[in-house]
Amino acid sequence: MLFLQVLINGLLLGGLYGLMALGMSLIWGVMNIVNIAHGALIMLGAYATFWMFTLWGWDPFVSLPATIALLFVYGYCLQRFLLNLVVRAQLFLTLLITFGVEVVMVNLVRIFWSSDLRQVTPGYAGANFSVGGVTVPYVRLWVFMTTVVLSILFLLLLEKTRLGRAIRATSEELRAARLTGIPVAHIYAVTFGLGAALAGAAGGMWGMLFPITPIMGGGLTLKSFVVAVLGGLGTMMGAIVGGLVLGLAESFTSTYIGPTYPNAISFGLLVLILIVKPTGLVGRRG
Amino acid sequence: MTRTGWCAVMLAAALAFSGTAWGADEIVLGSAISQTGKYAREGKFYVDAYALTVDAVNKAGGVKVGGKAYKLVLKMYDDQSDPNLSVRLFTRLVTSDKVNLLLGPYSSGITIPASAVSEKYEIPMVQGGGASGKIFDRGYKYIFGTLPKAEFYFQSVIEAAAKFTPRVQTAALLYSNEAFDRSVADGARQWLKEQKIDKVYDEEYQPATQDFTSVLAVLKSKSPDLVLVAGHEENALNFIRQAQAADMAPKMMVFTVGPPTADFRKTLGKAAEYVFGITPWLPDMDVGGEIFKSARDFAKQFQDRFGYEADYHVASGAADVLAYKFAIEKAGSLDAKKVRDALAALDAETMYGRVKFEPTGQIAMGQVVVQIQEGKLVPVYAAGKTLAKPIYPAPKWSMRK
Repeated sequence: MLFLQVLINGLLLGGLYGLMALGMSLIWGVMNIVNIAHGALIMLGAYATFWMFTLWGWDPFVSLPATIALLFVYGYCLQRFLLNLVVRAQLFLTLLITFGVEVVMVNLVRIFWSSDLRQVTPGYAGANFSVGGVTVPYVRLWVFMTTVVLSILFLLLLEKTRLGRAIRATSEELRAARLTGIPVAHIYAVTFGLGAALAGAAGGMWGMLFPITPIMGGGLTLKSFVVAVLGGLGTMMGAIVGGLVLGLAESFTSTYIGPTYPNAISFGLLVLILIVKPTGLVGRRG
Repeated sequence: MTRTGWCAVMLAAALAFSGTAWGADEIVLGSAISQTGKYAREGKFYVDAYALTVDAVNKAGGVKVGGKAYKLVLKMYDDQSDPNLSVRLFTRLVTSDKVNLLLGPYSSGITIPASAVSEKYEIPMVQGGGASGKIFDRGYKYIFGTLPKAEFYFQSVIEAAAKFTPRVQTAALLYSNEAFDRSVADGARQWLKEQKIDKVYDEEYQPATQDFTSVLAVLKSKSPDLVLVAGHEENALNFIRQAQAADMAPKMMVFTVGPPTADFRKTLGKAAEYVFGITPWLPDMDVGGEIFKSARDFAKQFQDRFGYEADYHVASGAADVLAYKFAIEKAGSLDAKKVRDALAALDAETMYGRVKFEPTGQIAMGQVVVQIQEGKLVPVYAAGKTLAKPIYPAPKWSMRK
């Protein structure tokens, strides 16, 4: 019974990890940017949800589309007016600039909204149901289902729409994409916007489960990165698989080895995967 | 005024401000404390506490040494919650800023290296943010602390648990792997043994842990009567919220930090009901002294100025400044060594309680057991005495309104 409970716990959280990593993986896949500010975008999404909940009483699930839209616009502008300037520079430079963006965002949030711990607690926050001795919190189940829906919508967008094809074309063959008339600067901005929107959605839901602080993003950037690399950087399926694997690894480690070790085991797993299969669990390209 | 006239004024002003770093009738208390990073929240409690107390001392006539009144002045840096930076900043405070005395940083992890600086330069450091025994068991002479010993944190609450009916039989111990919380756990094991309470779970976790669902699943399967958690406020918040979602309700849950903080109770709302906590200080405790005539008076001034409720961190920080005022006056000198000796011999009544240090430098003080009842913090047990009726056992989550 404990085993089943731990399995469910791992899967439910793993779904959210997957969604978090999806945005990071997309931005990396298309533009070769390791977005250090990814966690800060998640943080911003969490605050957006928090303020809409606190000021206007919007249910966090209802306000999710608004959070997504906000973060999309923010991400679009960030790429269009800042990151596009250095997008073809060395990897190190983009790394530095996203790091700078992260520092600025975190500190602005700290100055304006203080370091207080915030929580989004709708009436059903602690509600749960039991099936055969396994307790499932409603919020976690709904979060999981929302991540599944969002991931599917996102994959459809990327695979089936004209915009998605343009993004993939830009990612795979920049020169050819440009020759066929794809507005690359715009596509880059849209891509970053989508990445930010996914981060925002993940943040909105993270904020329903965990406290919100200005510095919550640092650890989440790292987590997203681990998940993305675990599954295969740049592949969308990889992010989702990586998320589930990390969720399960953490859950089982914490139960059967001890709650001090989830990080050690997760990073150990990462190193192992990089040695055995450097392209990640479902990655193809080198 | 002519151009040259302006220049002269500017020059004079510049000279006035740069000539002497510190005024001759000032006592400078230097500190590096976390204003950003992971301890920004707790760090702010100390920054505000220091500011309020320094102003109050100055308003009451300052510190009198040999018939002359000195003003207290603060020189503060932000250590960004980084122990390495903290050491560099304290070194700078001592060597280039030449402050008179040091106030401490926040957290045991930072105080341990930072206190080595005060020891090296033989400048006293009075700190209210680090309680681990590891700060005080190195034989240092210049470190003083106003938080009770970490090993004793759970003593009173375990003692109380053994007196409740039905008696607590089994306990689970969960603690973060930081120096302070490990010390708390070391003590807890001893107190549990003393009270003949079975320990059915004993694990440490990473302080950055957000998700406790797996721990909660294990706890639920072992169903201990008492759950003791030593960690940071964020850990406690996560633990309680997730315990509710996982439907894990022991008869009694205790946290080292969180319950005494108003913000904590507000954030958790109803989920915080029946949770136990410990605190060395409460605003309605019957203590007081010079500068702030009562704990209540201090709490009110603090609330008025900063707009949030003072907790024991704040009171402990205020006590550090007061300890200096009394010690300097008793020493009758600003000499660091003489002030140190006066601190070691200090026995003063303050708004924080009786400030008297043990030979190790740590304050001799017990913990009050508190419980959250209907959103309020109720002191239930202290120094072997029951102060109010505890709500025990806590009702199951599904039975709560």
